[in-house]
Amino acid sequence: MKAKRKVVTSPDARPAKPKRTPTVRPIKSAIVAVDRSKARPAAPQTSAPTPSPAERQALEAIDLSVELAPQRGLRLPNPIMAASGTFGYGVEYGEVVDVQRLGAICCKGTTLRPRAGNPPPRVTETPGGMLNSIGLQNPGVDAVIEKYGPIWQGWQVPVIVNVAGESIEDYVEVARRLDGVPGVAGIELNISCPNVGKGGLQFAIDRDAARAVTAAVRRATGLPLLVKLSPNVADVRPIARAIEEAGADAITAINTLSGLAVSADRTRAFLGNTYGGLSGPAVKPVALRVVYEVAQTVSIPIVGIGGVTSVGDVLDFMACGAVAVQVGTALFADPELPVRLVGELRAECHRRGLASCEPLVGTALPKRSGAPSARGAEYRP
Amino acid sequence: MRLVSAELVESRQILPEQWLQSYHAPDLVAGARAGQFVHVRTGDYSGLVLRRPFSINTADAATGIVSIHFRMVGRGTEWLAQARPGDRIDMLGPLGRPFEVDPRSHHLLLVAGGLGMAGIRMLADEAVRDGRKVTLLFGAVDAAHVYPSSLLPDEIEYVVATDDGSMGHHGFVTDLAGEYEAWADQEFSCGPHPMLKRLAELASGRRERLGVARLGRKGGSARAEPRGSTQARRKAFLQVSMEQTMGCAVGACLGCVVMGVEGPQRVCREGPVFAAEEIAWESIQ
Repeated sequence: MKAKRKVVTSPDARPAKPKRTPTVRPIKSAIVAVDRSKARPAAPQTSAPTPSPAERQALEAIDLSVELAPQRGLRLPNPIMAASGTFGYGVEYGEVVDVQRLGAICCKGTTLRPRAGNPPPRVTETPGGMLNSIGLQNPGVDAVIEKYGPIWQGWQVPVIVNVAGESIEDYVEVARRLDGVPGVAGIELNISCPNVGKGGLQFAIDRDAARAVTAAVRRATGLPLLVKLSPNVADVRPIARAIEEAGADAITAINTLSGLAVSADRTRAFLGNTYGGLSGPAVKPVALRVVYEVAQTVSIPIVGIGGVTSVGDVLDFMACGAVAVQVGTALFADPELPVRLVGELRAECHRRGLASCEPLVGTALPKRSGAPSARGAEYRP
Repeated sequence: MRLVSAELVESRQILPEQWLQSYHAPDLVAGARAGQFVHVRTGDYSGLVLRRPFSINTADAATGIVSIHFRMVGRGTEWLAQARPGDRIDMLGPLGRPFEVDPRSHHLLLVAGGLGMAGIRMLADEAVRDGRKVTLLFGAVDAAHVYPSSLLPDEIEYVVATDDGSMGHHGFVTDLAGEYEAWADQEFSCGPHPMLKRLAELASGRRERLGVARLGRKGGSARAEPRGSTQARRKAFLQVSMEQTMGCAVGACLGCVVMGVEGPQRVCREGPVFAAEEIAWESIQ
């Protein structure tokens, strides 16, 4: 990797572009037949208006920080996180994004031993989303600690290591090795990867297995522990409750939905692994539903994830009970999005006269407190 | 790697369904090399969530103009083809590793299949600039899809093959490669994977057929550079530009791998250009 260079993301700070020299040849006629009347959206807007100094001071005074593990201490400077699997180990986007301004980074799923992952092709675009089937390719926990630990140690942004495994022993051993490693702020237990044959999903679809793996990892490490839920279940609430009882500090919802794409010639499935996980704006309503249900089931913090592309989506997840959100698929199209969302969330708080974003959490939940809602079940086939 | 707002200065259809677009993006063009690519963000409409990778077709540091050549295959490229001069497009690049030409190579054989021309076009520019002799073999389905020679540098030899025989050699472009490999010091290719696979087969037996160990090179192939290193690639006879569906294009998502002999290789980071011996060709279809 080349020397890292911080790129200032605000457009006014960029060096002025030199005037283009008018050496462009004229367009050859009669070749291009563009329908000029056809409405075409403008190129994506990547800038926000610059606030005045007084306004900036008021904005900076807003406390966006969130506590994800009240008992063990995992305080994020802001609630916008980069989702596991989409941000590598935090270094890949370093040339174009100021990663230090994020709330936290969840690194690529890490296993005890190195994994080569699934055969290609591994990704494809679908309407409003994408399917991926990476298959947990990673160099193994020891290599991750050795290579990235020292880098993360120098960062102010908390790094949460996403942990996957084939057996409870695998999960426990990875958690044990991560315990006490400088630069590792927490663990996100990936019990919901739909793309690996053995392990993965089996822990997220069974209440007792979810409880067992969470409890085992809880005993093995003092690190703040998040557990990532799968939406590929009939009812997510008993599983969420089991995870809370087993000692998780927070719950991440949701992982991808299992899906399939067909090859262009319709002779086989497109992805090398046949099945893939669906992510992107297409899954946002599912994610909101799960967060909404889990928020009424557990009392630990919830991290919402699934199709976040705007500050409106962040507010939606918060309204359904999430204290923080993760941005995943949208990063690919717009690497600067998470950093921009931090500013936009700050502006939203300012506009509403809030000193923190805490009052935004749970506003859409039923007012009746106490018994968890059973309404989600009515919408399922 | 820079994230820039590139201004479209020229857009023209050069072949059926194929477009050539020039963008003004001086920050991106500086340092761009043949074989690298840009990752273009399409409009937010209708839920296109991924960027589209395009090979850098030409890059002119003096004017800050970068051009891409693409076929209209779906809604993303359809959107792009409708862009008008003056429109600004969000572009990430230059990305990936470039073709590595051995400084001692004088005769370069370039082989392009169809839209593979987009990936190899700039290498012809660079080679001519450096005073090398270039022969470009190009394969297309028929005469209507043959890349216009007017868009290529005058200094190169341009040989065409068409599947239906309507122009040039009747057959595949790989049929022609054998005639030139004795002349060539190095070969570079971009195109459909079956074509690259065939070229890799041809190139692997080259040394035996020619009865020499690495023409004119001191020490033959005794010194082994680490596989995949720039030095090793520079010494490789055949370099290929690979293609794969892509997510992030910066090496984070591990979505765009092709199988290499040493495990999965990211097209966006270790590639898109690979030495032929790095690829596990038996896995390529």
